[in-house]
Amino acid sequence: MKTIAVIFGGRSAEHDVSIITAHIPIIDSLLASGKFDVWPVYITKDGSWYADKAMNDLSFFKQPEWEERLVKWKKVQLSFDNGLKLVWPGLTSKKLAIDVVFPSMHGTLGEDGSLMGLLRMANVPFVGCDIFASAVAMDKVLTKQVVTAEGLSVVPYVWFTRTQWATKRQELLAAVRKLRMPLFVKPVHLGSSIGIAKVKNPVELENAIEVALRYDEKILIEEAIEPLIEVTLPIIGNDEVRTAECERPLNRTEFFDFKDKYLSGGKKGGGSGVNNAYSEVPADIGEELTQQVKELGVKVYRTLGCTGIARVDFLIHADTKKIYVNEVNTLPGSLYHHNWKKAGVSNMELVLELVRLAEERFAAQKDTTYAFKSDILNKVGGPKFQE
Amino acid sequence: MTPLEIARPRPSGRASAGAISNGVTRWLSRRHPRYIRSLVYMLQASEYNIGDFFRWHERVRDFRSVEKRKQLVFSAKATALLVFGWVVLLFMLIGAVIIFLSVSSPWNYVLSALLLLEAPLVVMVGLLLAVASVRVIQGPFERFIVACAKKRLAEHRGVKIAIAGSFGKTSMREVLKTVLSEGKKVAAPPDSYNTPLSIARFVRGLKGDEDVLIFELGEYYPGDVRALARAVQPTWGFVTGVNEAHLEKFKTLERTTGTIFELAEFVDASRLYVNGESALARSRAKSSNVLYTREGAGDWRIENPETGLLGTTFMLTKNGAMVRAHSGLCGLHSLGVLAAAADIASRLGLTNAEIERGLARTKPFAHRLEPKQWPDKVTFIDDSYNGNPDGARAAIEFLSSLQGRRWYVTPGLVEGGARAKDIHEEIGRTLAAAGIEKVALIRTSVAHHIEAGLNEGGFNGEMLWYSDMPACLAALRASALPGDIILVQNDWPDQYA
Repeated sequence: MKTIAVIFGGRSAEHDVSIITAHIPIIDSLLASGKFDVWPVYITKDGSWYADKAMNDLSFFKQPEWEERLVKWKKVQLSFDNGLKLVWPGLTSKKLAIDVVFPSMHGTLGEDGSLMGLLRMANVPFVGCDIFASAVAMDKVLTKQVVTAEGLSVVPYVWFTRTQWATKRQELLAAVRKLRMPLFVKPVHLGSSIGIAKVKNPVELENAIEVALRYDEKILIEEAIEPLIEVTLPIIGNDEVRTAECERPLNRTEFFDFKDKYLSGGKKGGGSGVNNAYSEVPADIGEELTQQVKELGVKVYRTLGCTGIARVDFLIHADTKKIYVNEVNTLPGSLYHHNWKKAGVSNMELVLELVRLAEERFAAQKDTTYAFKSDILNKVGGPKFQE
Repeated sequence: MTPLEIARPRPSGRASAGAISNGVTRWLSRRHPRYIRSLVYMLQASEYNIGDFFRWHERVRDFRSVEKRKQLVFSAKATALLVFGWVVLLFMLIGAVIIFLSVSSPWNYVLSALLLLEAPLVVMVGLLLAVASVRVIQGPFERFIVACAKKRLAEHRGVKIAIAGSFGKTSMREVLKTVLSEGKKVAAPPDSYNTPLSIARFVRGLKGDEDVLIFELGEYYPGDVRALARAVQPTWGFVTGVNEAHLEKFKTLERTTGTIFELAEFVDASRLYVNGESALARSRAKSSNVLYTREGAGDWRIENPETGLLGTTFMLTKNGAMVRAHSGLCGLHSLGVLAAAADIASRLGLTNAEIERGLARTKPFAHRLEPKQWPDKVTFIDDSYNGNPDGARAAIEFLSSLQGRRWYVTPGLVEGGARAKDIHEEIGRTLAAAGIEKVALIRTSVAHHIEAGLNEGGFNGEMLWYSDMPACLAALRASALPGDIILVQNDWPDQYA
């Protein structure tokens, strides 16, 4: 039986969403499969790591005093000695070798490639996109720049940093004025619609920028498409990919905010976890448009070098049917299991397939040579270096 | 191996090593502090039947984990036994220490060690003696209670209906209660009150103004139904069917049939309803008995029946009169029961309108072909209290009539006795013929016979194995897709582990 660590929580605005994703469907399915020794690894909001099987049950995090209980536990450390090991230090120290890691982190210091870098250093297979795709996808501007280079369409936008805003405010506002209202102001690195505002006039603009800059040091301002059809497409795979159904969010407010995505109730869609009450699956956008979205989705997936799983979001002009790439999410909330089920993939099949893909990629990476023999050190001090 | 498949039944290789390991585990677990609680739980789950308890005790490999599907209920009797068990153990330990300390010869050491090592045996014998003693004391007391109840029943003015059968007694009771309640004041014992003492407890609570009283007569051994019927003195009777449900105790189907038809000794033949879809019951029925089937009962005929997850719709006709009926009960096999209820209701004076209303109020009973909705439009049909061959056949028939990807989940049926192999192979063949897409089996002593039947029947679907029902259900929750229909047939009580 393989030992798998599911890492979740973290220093991110999407900390709580990450806990849900880790349990529904990841841990639930891994446990139900009977194939894994499942170890939940939880990172607190201040960056402390804990691992205890009591956290395999989501109800642990619903107890009123779970955080008080948590701090009484021994923090867990990582060892990279011959693979990844969880280490509980102390007199009765314990080590646990991990065969596979299932990152379930949303947002900063997790989904952005940081955790993937750590896991690559540990030389352990892990689920989901690798460091490079994760880092690019986490930056909405970088994503637009990369996909634009491949000839794909994105809506007109302007971006700048907190420092630039402080020093070149008027210049930036002038650039923004060239965009057509209404506009979206977005923190570049955050997901789950945190810090996003829709601006309909110049009066609201500066306030929206200030808010977004509170969440991120780099922000993006882009034109809103109206009338808009928003569509999202989950994809899994490494070299060979499989798409789920095109999904159309059904707006409750003017745009999706965090509440719409994760907290809204309702009967439509049914199901558990997140993202089940506010969308239409499959999107009723016609066969032709669906096909175009799927083809574009796969192209974006490959362009960013995604592996394992990702979700590509599109904006479609409802009248012209022009499709714009919006952003890529390398760990969709709850893996978008509600959508995969409609595509005929059960939670367990999805989760086990992602583990298989992780191992497949890890095996393929073994063929890459990272070390290189040279005698450069012996030449230090030689004629060339003395010049 | 599919992603869902956990393991097939373990091959019998390395038998001797396994047997030694099991023996060591059993020996050690009998010396675990949990052993006393396990003994009390096993006695309680066996309904304090020492024979059943002892057979179970001999099968247990690990006494630390006998409470799998249920837990010990801390009734007064169980608590007293638990305390008694610990007191016996304490005396044994004190005795061992005293003997050890007052050394006069090397035999003291041996005796002390023997007391320590065999304390579990003494505790078990002590508990069994306690149970036997309680029974001796309880006997006259119980007989007195039953006699009082019998007297009270004899004086009661209400119509008394008794139901006997290997299966379907509770369903029949509930249908009768629901339908007759439209025009009569009806009382029936709750749950599975079908022993003399539980029936007496029910009778004690009667007000005396009830029009109809309905009783289930439980049967484990020959004479059981006669004893209960003698206490109840029914004027109407129902035989819901005869099959292998308690064959392990009855040994032969003839004895089972004879025991169930003891009811006929107390009821006028024209007032005895017999399930005509049960071959064994039908074979014993007299021509003047009222047979009920999916075609009708008595003078009532059933027309245009349709069934689905929302219930069963049909028309009942009699001498030109017509009742349009809709029942919440699922499956065409329930038509006979509904028709029988309509017929007796009519004979007891209910109007057709009252019968129609009564039938409309019938609904699935807990854990008996009870449809429930899981998230994501997955239908879960709970048939976990249905553990007999006829019930399994009806459930498969109903499942096969539904649209969607269909799962049949079962640990198999208990108490099949010598016919267990045939019964389960037949279930397998029926599943194969019904075209069920997925069959999930729990690793029990009989489930491999279902596998054999599936293979023999040319099963084209997917077969999955799980270690126990909770693991299976967890896997199904993670594996189900929208539109799936999952039927769970029977649960596997701990005493059959």
